[in-house]
Amino acid sequence: MRIASGVDVGSTQTKAVMMSDNGGINILARALVDTGANVQRAAERAFDKCCAEAGIQTGDVGFVVGTGYGRYKIAFGNAQMTEISCHAKGAGFLCPSTRTVIDMGGQDSKAISVGANGEVLDFVMNDKCAAGTGRFLANAAEVMGISLDEIGPLSLRGKYPVKLATVCTVFVESDILSYLAQGKKGEDILNGVHLAIAKRTVSLARRINLEPEITMTGGVARNCGMVHALEEVLARKLQISPDAHFMGAVGAALFALEKLDQSFEFGTWKGQHATSGGH
Amino acid sequence: MSEKTEYRGSIHQSQKDLMLNWYEQLDRAATTGDPPTVSMMISGNCVELLEGFGAVPLYPEVNALQLAIRHQSLDPILAAEDLGYAADNCAYVKADIGCMLKGITPTGGKLPTPTLILCNFVGCNTYLKWFEHTAKLTGAPLYVIDVPFMRTDEPRKEDVEYVVRQLKETVEKLEQLTRRKFDYDRFRQAVDCSRRSEDLWSQIKHLARSTPSPFDAYFDAITLMGPLYVYRAKPEGVEFFETALAELQAKRDAGHGVYEREHYRLVMEGPPPYPYFRTFRDMFAKWQACAVASTYSTVGGLWEFGFRHDPDHPFESVALHMIEQNVTNRNYLQRYEQIRRYVEEWNADGVIIHFVKSCRLFSAGQGDMRDYFTKQLGIPTLYIESDLEDPRYFAEAQTKNRIDAFFEALEHSKATALRGSA
Ligand code: SF4
Repeated sequence: MRIASGVDVGSTQTKAVMMSDNGGINILARALVDTGANVQRAAERAFDKCCAEAGIQTGDVGFVVGTGYGRYKIAFGNAQMTEISCHAKGAGFLCPSTRTVIDMGGQDSKAISVGANGEVLDFVMNDKCAAGTGRFLANAAEVMGISLDEIGPLSLRGKYPVKLATVCTVFVESDILSYLAQGKKGEDILNGVHLAIAKRTVSLARRINLEPEITMTGGVARNCGMVHALEEVLARKLQISPDAHFMGAVGAALFALEKLDQSFEFGTWKGQHATSGGH
Repeated sequence: MSEKTEYRGSIHQSQKDLMLNWYEQLDRAATTGDPPTVSMMISGNCVELLEGFGAVPLYPEVNALQLAIRHQSLDPILAAEDLGYAADNCAYVKADIGCMLKGITPTGGKLPTPTLILCNFVGCNTYLKWFEHTAKLTGAPLYVIDVPFMRTDEPRKEDVEYVVRQLKETVEKLEQLTRRKFDYDRFRQAVDCSRRSEDLWSQIKHLARSTPSPFDAYFDAITLMGPLYVYRAKPEGVEFFETALAELQAKRDAGHGVYEREHYRLVMEGPPPYPYFRTFRDMFAKWQACAVASTYSTVGGLWEFGFRHDPDHPFESVALHMIEQNVTNRNYLQRYEQIRRYVEEWNADGVIIHFVKSCRLFSAGQGDMRDYFTKQLGIPTLYIESDLEDPRYFAEAQTKNRIDAFFEALEHSKATALRGSA
């Protein structure tokens, strides 16, 4: 049995997934830790946790692919790939009919056009600022004085969404405060917040061929308010895997498995190995 | 992994010598008032005309980019912002104005107050305001050559006449200012030198059609662009391009590329991020990706499709060059077509669009351009953003991430295509 792992070091959380190929491919375990300030440590913790969860020794793992913004910091990793390739790969595996991936993470959002084998055909990402990303939602939750887990369900109750003047992560605060001062209901404000981001994300996604099925990945996929708002703006249902949050790590682990059985298709990529973690 | 990305031949030394010599002339002009100097924009420059007076061009854009490459652009930019320039203003302008305010030059030598500030207004409206302000700061006289934008496929006869008339007025103006008589024969010889330099430059660019390409037509081309703007109308320029062609041709004939193995061939659109020039180049080197053509290398003139200055019609050909034969003054559809031809005829795998915040002229509409290439032509196209002069707009990790993802996707599609044909 071949065992491989993918570790996705995101700006907020680090995810690790352990997968095996024994004729069929299975997910053995998942692990999630907060990234914090020490990126390298976070990767190690997630990986160790995932090994423990799978009941295996680190030495049993044949290949590790790192992804996410902190991928070059993974000292024990054998190779790195961008999260764009990994999300596409993961979504192609878990939801094979996927042709478009909308990934919303802590600091960026992206739309990926995916081929029949989970390969990236095209992609677009938000520009450098964090407007319209997970960070924006976190700020909104903070201003409202509620937890991030609550904003989604609460926003679903809103019937009269407010119109936000901005999706800027900094200015949203004053926008929300002024609505609160006007006596608007929290649920309507949050509904407006989610819709504003959904519109921005969809206009980004329209730059690629926005073909069905559309799969949503990334941490924000756990927010039912965001899923609903996106579905409303897109006027169609999204596929959400229970592993949406782990999609990058799943994709990375799949690449790692391919590496083990030599079916890996990335010729030039041989040159990208950086096991020292120094970059 | 470190990739050898730069070709170092004798042309690099002669390029350095030529550019140093240029700065020395400017330094001398600042001290003694001789030779006369004329400040101009790169795009659609009429350096040939200056030869008729033995005058030397002064290019604020070259100064600005030199500063940025040496990581010295932020200070002058901040000085200009202190004066009231907005964050959104073109950072070339801010760097230049900031340098004047602070007395900075890229080489540390002196720069003269130009004999004439000649605003060859080509495509970019910012030029006008920039030169107006420079004129105010330096007290030098300003003359504007108003070049009609390319709104039709071919320039109209009236447009050419209009520019020729202004070129002749420029001659009169320079006769007054330099107290020298315009030497028409020398002007014609200069136009002839340009014709020869351009012919050689065009041949160099066509060498990049070979696989592997003997040089990078974006990063390496920039080395050759300095002499192209300052020296093309002089015998030294012709000589320089003869050497360059011979060297690169030999390299091509020996089958030597930029990398040990050229994995990808790209067309680059947009100016480079000069403050992070090396870092940016390395991001492509990692993938052994070579630019085989670039639009940026045509800002000063577009010669690879056949245009040459014509000594039999010196004024008219200078006018034509200003109107039609530089990427800045051409309309968007012409730019699309230029890139499409590069992809096809230079046999490229994809297009990289580098959007620069400073430059509306280059960058407005590049989102649509990406759509056109990816959706209508099916050419893999990557869109990335930063700036050509302001280091604050370069996000290294994000830029690298996008570039890596682009190549990962290309890698996959190449492998799939190979498998399909096996
Ligand atoms: S806006 Fe662009 S073309 Fe105009 S001066 Fe600035 S960099 Fe040059």
